[in-house]
Amino acid sequence: MEKGKISSLQMAIMIYPTIVATAILGVPAITAKYAKNDLWLSPVLASFIGFVTVYIVHQLHKLFPNQTVIQFSEQIMGKVGGKMLGFLFLFFYIPNIGQLIRSYGEFIVDSFLIKTPISLVMGSMVLLCAFVVNGGIEVLGRVAELFFPILIIGLIILITLLSPDFEFKNIFPMFEGGIMPSIKGAIVPSAWFTEFFLLIFLLPFLADQEKGMKYGMMSVFAVMMTLVVVNLSVYFVLGETTSSKVYPVMNAVRYISLADFFDNLESVTMALWILGAFVKISVFYYVAALGTAQWLNLSDYRPVIWPLGILFVEFSFWSFPSAMETSRYDIIAFPIYGFLMQTVIPLFLLVIAVVRKRLGKKSKLS
Amino acid sequence: MSANGKGQLLMRNALLLLYFCGSILFVTGCWDRTEVNDLAIVTAAAIDKKENNQIELSLQLFIPKSLSMGGGQGGGGGGGGGGGGGQITLAASHKGDNIADALSKLQAQLPREVFWGQCKVFIFGEKAAREGIQEHMDFLLRHPEPRERAFIYVSEGDAKRFLELSSYLERYSGETIREQSKRKLGIQVTMQDLDEMLTGNAHVAALPYLKIRKEKQTLAKSYNYPDLFATAVFKKDKMIGTLNESDTRGVLWLRKEVKGYTVNVKPKSQKGEVSLNPVSARVKLIPRIKGDEWKMFVKINTEGAIVQNGTNLNFSDPKAIKLLEKAYQMGIKERIEYALKKTQHELKTDIVGFSDEFHRKYPKQWKQIENQWETKFPDVKVIIDVQAHVRRQGYINKPGGMPEQEVKK
Repeated sequence: MEKGKISSLQMAIMIYPTIVATAILGVPAITAKYAKNDLWLSPVLASFIGFVTVYIVHQLHKLFPNQTVIQFSEQIMGKVGGKMLGFLFLFFYIPNIGQLIRSYGEFIVDSFLIKTPISLVMGSMVLLCAFVVNGGIEVLGRVAELFFPILIIGLIILITLLSPDFEFKNIFPMFEGGIMPSIKGAIVPSAWFTEFFLLIFLLPFLADQEKGMKYGMMSVFAVMMTLVVVNLSVYFVLGETTSSKVYPVMNAVRYISLADFFDNLESVTMALWILGAFVKISVFYYVAALGTAQWLNLSDYRPVIWPLGILFVEFSFWSFPSAMETSRYDIIAFPIYGFLMQTVIPLFLLVIAVVRKRLGKKSKLS
Repeated sequence: MSANGKGQLLMRNALLLLYFCGSILFVTGCWDRTEVNDLAIVTAAAIDKKENNQIELSLQLFIPKSLSMGGGQGGGGGGGGGGGGGQITLAASHKGDNIADALSKLQAQLPREVFWGQCKVFIFGEKAAREGIQEHMDFLLRHPEPRERAFIYVSEGDAKRFLELSSYLERYSGETIREQSKRKLGIQVTMQDLDEMLTGNAHVAALPYLKIRKEKQTLAKSYNYPDLFATAVFKKDKMIGTLNESDTRGVLWLRKEVKGYTVNVKPKSQKGEVSLNPVSARVKLIPRIKGDEWKMFVKINTEGAIVQNGTNLNFSDPKAIKLLEKAYQMGIKERIEYALKKTQHELKTDIVGFSDEFHRKYPKQWKQIENQWETKFPDVKVIIDVQAHVRRQGYINKPGGMPEQEVKK
């Protein structure tokens, strides 16, 4: 199946853009809608789910070190139950990638390539990601390693350039409505943090398995910090109008103007965001391909890459009727759906596995 | 065997290389490209209300041809015809039910596609402003091209006139207005600021109020120029009144936007006036609620430099400085008081941002009166405390060109 190995640092670098890329696009507006000026606290609260998910993933991984969830769920739930659960996971990830590609396409078509058919935008991205996935996990790790610094440095530069326009008092008074608004605001970003469950597909390929947990947690922390900083910078610039924007980071970056000639930097955000989305879609794509192959007991995942690609593009068209529906899904369905599939079910698996192990030991002893 | 394999590999690589190089030929262009010469670049836009509930959208369009003919060859000295002679912009306009409608009709007249990305000045005619600008703002904020940093204005009379105004130092009137705004002599409001004001606590907004001034010259032709020192005051999205130039300056102090202009003060028991330039100004608004009484302490700490001395005071003398500082303080205080009288008691609109200060410091009390701020605002007691210092006197100490005997000792 997969013979490549990655380091745990590479794993962390892969998963960081996977979460951040889309979380900094529309999520600050959704958070601001509920949390108002306390929106900076929401990612901190939401990250709790991320830490829990990574912990569950790591415990499961310790029990079944060389297997992904598709494989070991058969051991936990039995052959039929495991296959059903595996199907559920695949049926969660494959449409999810479709939605991802759709929101990527919507964003590009909405703000830049207004007249380009969206199928071209989405199709070319799927094609590119298919090449990366075809290269295997090592290629994926290196692609992430290559783009991660650009993403981080780019983000830092943009925020620095934006800082002259910061209105720090925008975030006062803090906790006007108590802590509830920030908790409400945390619900949507928490769905993004549940995506750390993807680690379960990457951990078996670590060269240094013992560091997996540490780097996973570090990645959650890095994502949390990024979201806090991005949310704050956006709110410092846009204030109460943050919640009315569809892509608030875009609006904030457009506001950059230095010395009257250094402005109109939105294409930089765009470039950064495409990099992030590229890594994100690739990681999801890889996970879907690997999972499908394991579910079908294939010896290699490469034959399913192309069929899956076509399926992703199809799902991207089936997923949402309009751009407005995208954010409605993110607010209403995804927090519950993502939480259920990526945190609750894994926890459930872990509990059964642990109980079974204890019972097995006891019966052996007696 | 191995040689054969190597040869095959080489062949394969060569073919791949050829394939990649070849495909470059097909990715040179984009089938739906829009080049600069397909765009009608908008440099300023004006929105006026017309009869039959229609609006008129006017765009100041840049004429690229004028640049290549005049500026290209003649360099800086080109366009010798002087002032507004060579037309560099065109003011095109069309009526419609709303901006989008008028724009699509206007677009039909133009051979090039309207491009908003460089439009940094939007002017609402007074009539349009009085009837509400919310609907127009929706278009500007929704469309991806107009910039959040574009400046917004209200004009006396028709806004379209400002697009037709000829310009002298700058290339076109849109740029003139924008550069004047950047000097921060009047209030400066970007699209983002306006959006924040309209959605903010107080439900009020202030925009610079443009007027056309005529400067008569004795020998040469008289010329017109835009003047943006006054302020248009909005309640919700409707304009309800204006502040004149000196009230605007008072408001600028309170909004912490005051920047280099000259203050003339008359020291006590002196005949002439002294002109000062504020070098720095720190303004603090400190709200205080005691029982039912809402107070706002305005603390201003400013430093100035002497620009001109029309009195016979010698500012090497600490006593003279004290006298001047006192007058300077009083001058600023009066300015602010006048402005407050107008905004707080006549227009009753909180364009100075007191509501935000109260909201920040007293969120609980604010919640209770949130909906009655309009009636509460005039009752807020304002206590102004100005600390003014004179720090610099320029290149001379005694009054220039005055005999020693006349200088006050």
